Amino acid sequence: MTDALSAEGLTKKYGGRTALSDCTLSVPAGRVVGLVGPNGAGKSTLLQLACGLLDPTAGRIEVLGTTPMSGTRQVGFVAQDTPVYAALTVAEHLRIGARLNPSWDAALAERRIAQVGLDPSQKAGKLSGGQRAQLALTVAAAKRPDLLLLDEPVAALDPLARRGFLQGLMELTAEQGISVIMSSHLVADLERVCDYLIVLVASRVRVAGDVDELLATHHRLVGPRRDPAELGAGRAMVEQSHTDVQSTLVVRSTAPIDDPSWRVDRLNLEDIVLAYMSGAATAAPQRVLEGRR
Amino acid sequence: MIWLAWRQFRIQLLAAAAVLLVFLAALALTWTQVTGLARDTGFTGCQADACDNAADAFTGALSNVTAGWLYYVGMAVMFVLPILLGIFWGAPLVARELETGTYRMIFSQSVSRRRWLLVKLAVGVVAAAMSAGLVTLVLTGWAAPIDRAESRISPVTFATRGVVPIAYAALAFVIGVIAGMVLRRTVAAMAVTMLAVVAVQVAVPLVLVPALAQPVTSVTALNLDKRFLIGPAPSTDKWTLDAQAQIPGAWIVSMTTVTSTGAEFTGPVDTTKCDPARPIGDPSDECREWLKMQNLNQKVTYVPASSFWPLQWREFGALIALTIGLSWLSVWWIRRRLT
Repeated sequence: MTDALSAEGLTKKYGGRTALSDCTLSVPAGRVVGLVGPNGAGKSTLLQLACGLLDPTAGRIEVLGTTPMSGTRQVGFVAQDTPVYAALTVAEHLRIGARLNPSWDAALAERRIAQVGLDPSQKAGKLSGGQRAQLALTVAAAKRPDLLLLDEPVAALDPLARRGFLQGLMELTAEQGISVIMSSHLVADLERVCDYLIVLVASRVRVAGDVDELLATHHRLVGPRRDPAELGAGRAMVEQSHTDVQSTLVVRSTAPIDDPSWRVDRLNLEDIVLAYMSGAATAAPQRVLEGRR
Repeated sequence: MIWLAWRQFRIQLLAAAAVLLVFLAALALTWTQVTGLARDTGFTGCQADACDNAADAFTGALSNVTAGWLYYVGMAVMFVLPILLGIFWGAPLVARELETGTYRMIFSQSVSRRRWLLVKLAVGVVAAAMSAGLVTLVLTGWAAPIDRAESRISPVTFATRGVVPIAYAALAFVIGVIAGMVLRRTVAAMAVTMLAVVAVQVAVPLVLVPALAQPVTSVTALNLDKRFLIGPAPSTDKWTLDAQAQIPGAWIVSMTTVTSTGAEFTGPVDTTKCDPARPIGDPSDECREWLKMQNLNQKVTYVPASSFWPLQWREFGALIALTIGLSWLSVWWIRRRLT
């Protein structure tokens, strides 16, 4: 099956500033993928490269098996801050979608607008942030893309609007079976909807993998202080902190940890992401792992 | 896509249409004033030499009525219109999409950037050309008697008549679009557009038109029965003699008084006949008679009135070629450089 997105050595520079460096990644199709990382990590850049709004400086990116180009039918995109035309009404936005997309699903669009309670005659500039995000999602979804890219769609929303948006997104993915890649700097937003996670820190991919697999293979080890090099084969250090007598390590290990001198804790998704984010500063590149091998 | 282009453009279009309609209404209301004065002063249907005096009477009478003032307003409108179209139609077209981020939404629809821009350019260029075309059509007709009395091929009038204003409007619009695309800021693009369009309006008559005009040169016997100027040139021992050239409706590029050998006449002058102390515009009769004996000729380089339409189409073609070139550049830019 063709990957939803695959990248090899993907690099994007703006003038002298590197927004994304040497990113190698492959994201399976049919998943709801969370792209998480701190602000400025390169999430927007990666998504805009994926929908063809940006061209890579170096490396290669393929989306659904082809080089991305803006204006294709297969990819839908909801940009950061969900831009809409302030002077146009909700109904006119649907009309734009209908005019510019041969695959437009008018029934879906109207049903969604009614569902989220948008007034078709209202100017988009007068909508609240949550309503605007719903409108942008509707326009992107009614295009019936095979891959939907969402760039921080809920960042500006209050918790209630956030839940409403994610609810709508889940319904869409359930009924259409499309691939989704959605970025956020908050894991909590992604946890609920994503089954695949990519952690991007300082323009590099730190980890990418199935959520269940990530949860199963990451452990926090607490024990007497020792050299992290003694961890053994098949285990990789994500984050470490030491006091005089005690070491706390976050490791990724496919094999069970059976050394009795360690206390082994399970980690939730947020812990894992935070470990990668804070470990990024110290971790050497070879310890960066990839989900699918 | 055409619907979207129209929907996003219609308010600007209606605003411009409202302003232009006021101007067109003013022209319509004073139409009979112009034709009436031309008839009453005997300028309409005048023959040969009588035309000179009739033309003077006509333009003199015009300066006292609204139409005379409107004549200059018309020229101003034709110069300002392309600037405004570039600023308010062209510059925001792409710049506002880039500024508000809506380009990310619209480029995510199933329409290529090239097609999106081409449709937007086409709608804007056609609207600009039609607005300018309507105004120039009415104004050229309205001012026809006045232009006959003055000269419609002289550089300032020429740019405000015929088909040239259409090309200016189209070019100014595209200049605005490309400025907005490159600068990515609406206000900056507006300022640059204004400067660029004014620069074009100055450069074209100074550089392009003389190259296209193919002026002709004629040498004829100097007519000294009309008013002329004679006097010593300041701080030299040379003299200058300037007489009006009698070429109706032509654009006089240069004229010099030459001797029978073809050299420029710079004196010497018999100072017993022509007193250097007399005002240069008021030579004595002896001086006039003495000058008539000198076999002087007048060498005039001019663009005849009959060249009006050929020159109009040549300038139109050059400006439209520039417009197409810039449009092509903008299409290339939106694909290659906007990423």
